[in-house]
Amino acid sequence: MNSLTETKRRPTDWQGAEMQKRIAGRYAAERRFKAMGMAAIALSASFLAFLLVVMVGNGFLGFTQTELPVEIDFPAVTGGASPSQFQGPNAEANLQVMGLREIVDSSIEIQYGPEGTDLFSSGAWTAVSAKILADPDIVEQKSTVNLPVVSDLDVAYKDEGNPEAEAKVSELSGQFSTGFNWNFLSNSDATDPMQVGIWGAFKGSLITMIVTLMLAFPVGVLAALYLEEYAPKNRLTDLIEVSINNLAAVPSIIFGLLGLAVFLNFFGMPRSGALVGGLTLALMTMPVIVISGRNAVKSVPPSIREAALGIGASPLQVVFHHVLPLALPGILTGTIIGMARALGETAPLLMIGMRAFIATPPSGITDPATVLPVQIFLWSDEVDRGFVEKTSAAIIVLLLFLLIMNALAIYLRNRFETRW
Amino acid sequence: MTGATLLFLIIGLGLVAWFFGRLKAAGMQSGGKHSRSALHSLPNYHGWYVALWAILPAAIFLAVWSFASPALITDAALTSPAAAQLPQDAFARAAILSEARAIASGNQVNAFNPLSQSMVEPYRDAIAYYQMIGAVAALLMVFACGVYAWLQIKPDLRARTKIERVTMLVLLLASLIAIVTTVGIFLSLVFETARFFSMVSPIDFLFGTEWNPKAVAGPRGETGFGAIPLFWGTVFIGAIIAMIVAIPLGLMSAIYLTQYAPAKFRSWMKPILEVLAGVPTVVYGYFAALTVAPALRDFAVSIGISNASSESALAAGAVMGIMIIPFVSSMADDSIAAVPSAMRDGSLAMGATQSETIKKVLIPAALPGVVGGVLLAVSRAIGETMIVVMAAGLAANMTANPFSSVTTVTTQIVQLLTGDQEFDSPKTLAAFALGLVLFIVTLLLNLIALRVVKKYREAYE
Repeated sequence: MNSLTETKRRPTDWQGAEMQKRIAGRYAAERRFKAMGMAAIALSASFLAFLLVVMVGNGFLGFTQTELPVEIDFPAVTGGASPSQFQGPNAEANLQVMGLREIVDSSIEIQYGPEGTDLFSSGAWTAVSAKILADPDIVEQKSTVNLPVVSDLDVAYKDEGNPEAEAKVSELSGQFSTGFNWNFLSNSDATDPMQVGIWGAFKGSLITMIVTLMLAFPVGVLAALYLEEYAPKNRLTDLIEVSINNLAAVPSIIFGLLGLAVFLNFFGMPRSGALVGGLTLALMTMPVIVISGRNAVKSVPPSIREAALGIGASPLQVVFHHVLPLALPGILTGTIIGMARALGETAPLLMIGMRAFIATPPSGITDPATVLPVQIFLWSDEVDRGFVEKTSAAIIVLLLFLLIMNALAIYLRNRFETRW
Repeated sequence: MTGATLLFLIIGLGLVAWFFGRLKAAGMQSGGKHSRSALHSLPNYHGWYVALWAILPAAIFLAVWSFASPALITDAALTSPAAAQLPQDAFARAAILSEARAIASGNQVNAFNPLSQSMVEPYRDAIAYYQMIGAVAALLMVFACGVYAWLQIKPDLRARTKIERVTMLVLLLASLIAIVTTVGIFLSLVFETARFFSMVSPIDFLFGTEWNPKAVAGPRGETGFGAIPLFWGTVFIGAIIAMIVAIPLGLMSAIYLTQYAPAKFRSWMKPILEVLAGVPTVVYGYFAALTVAPALRDFAVSIGISNASSESALAAGAVMGIMIIPFVSSMADDSIAAVPSAMRDGSLAMGATQSETIKKVLIPAALPGVVGGVLLAVSRAIGETMIVVMAAGLAANMTANPFSSVTTVTTQIVQLLTGDQEFDSPKTLAAFALGLVLFIVTLLLNLIALRVVKKYREAYE
């Protein structure tokens, strides 16, 4: 279209049918585009909702256990033990001497026949033991105790299990009851899904996080202060900044390789320990703390520094007496977010051997330990169907902790962060 | 005396030193606060001055000692009569000595070799002897340096300046840890990779098409380390499938939230979408393996794909894409917000509808930023481990069929390193070679992305 024809063109007839059609088309495209945006949001949010619903739906059952009632005639089977035997420091030893396990097994056999013990979880007697320790007076009478059933039955009762277990469940239907699975909160890893718990992994996570925090927080804050307040503009500073930005983007598994090659093989630190795990995660978390710390330090207005300098404070006093306290809420927010990420991290810890079967909770930083996400990974690999709900239950616990940490970060930000 | 107790003792003595230093300085000050003899620094700084003098030299000495003493201990143990029976072969000798050392320091209970057992006593004696020397020397240093610093306290001692110099050094050291870590990553990867390449040719590794480390037999002439199928699987899951999910969803979410949504909706929806990035990857992996993968396989079978795998590339890639949505959307959000509003207003004033403005003005103007964001997202996706370990397979296939199983670099790293192989086998070393490739690729992607974003930012400033 050249300029000659353009000048001769008649004014557009906006009311004409053709133009109206075009405008309608454009408006329709507008609506379609807007709907697409809305659909994208809805789809993303529904993925999240679906994920949470699946996990909570599966995991909810992991906190419960199926139980069958067993009548135990304590005076008869214990030969008239008195409640005082099960109080005080010797209580557990006395239970051992009494042979509680056999007592429980024989009571089960009386009620459910010679094959009856197959119905119950191998750790069922510990439930009786806990009951006696909590209330020793029950040994003076006949009492009925609800004991956890074997994993196959548990799965069959809650959901759908193998045919034999389903048959057994329908045979015994009406006698089952559901109780809260306290073992899940107090036990560690086990081979029997009815006996597993997250306490060991939780404690491992806690110790690892403490090591991470003790290392990453001071180093991260000091580095942030240096880079933001004192660093001269030179090549070294540039190099530090590039390194920190790169470290923040390095895949986490690479940190695991570093931990394996340097901490385990070069320095010979104990394998699988919380110390190495914490060190590795600290290297990962440190850049996050530095970056958020720098932003927090940057947001403190220069007038504060100038006022402090003006009344005679040294550059170091300016920072440690005035800038750091004001930036601390922001730094803490960033630290909590970094720690939340470290808490959910799995891959680097697999590299440094924190994937062993750990049946006792760690008691120090060099003991073999595992952490919550690794425990989830290990259980997800188990063939036994009883582990499915336990895995999801552990995921719920992990997500709960992440939620708490993030909520804390948001609270800190809203409560203490000053908008200058 | 173990190292930890010694350290606590030194720190305790440091606190004592701080107290005395402060006391002396405060005594000088009370003489005349406003007279000519007023202190240069506050008493606190004098306290810290003495404390640092007491702690630092001893701590540095202990650090050096802990590196030097093992050699001294071994020498001392070798002079014992029991050492005369040791074999001449250097390798066997070293094995016995290290076993004896482990028993003597309590890391091991029983010896496999009777000779080691005979070396335990000399070792234990030598360790106790040198530990005692180290501890006594360190404590002497604490006292000597502490007293020296204490004697130095005078009103005109520039204690604050000196403390500040030390603090500044500590700040600098803290920042240098980032460089040390980067160099540590690079060196450890390069070192192990070099050892791997001394066993397997780099050409075979980078361009070979057969990945089967389990079948590798002999110490020389290994095959089965061709990593091309892994690279393809990584790209297929992380850069293709995941991005097909993440780019449209992330981009459209960002557009809707920035351009259409009311402020209130936006302030609610943005954090909710960001939760997607905060969910631990092990949870995504479990979700992909337990829920998504079986559903996709059933779907594939129902539409007539009979060889659909239950560990399909599609399941891992799609879940990874969901995880990446917030990254894409927040990068797109930033770059759309950075487009000058004059451009947007101009387009709207010309009569373009909002969607026309977005498609023809905002997106083209924000494109470099969006591309940078996508590159960052890709680098994140190819380094992601748990989702693929749990949901993608181990079969190294070169296929573009999303319903079949492929394997990735990160899956194989985990697979190679979580067995019980000795550390020198080509299998474990191959993991480091894969790690190096991953490190370099993610580094390059990040550098390119940051450069693109920076250039684009400059264009509008």
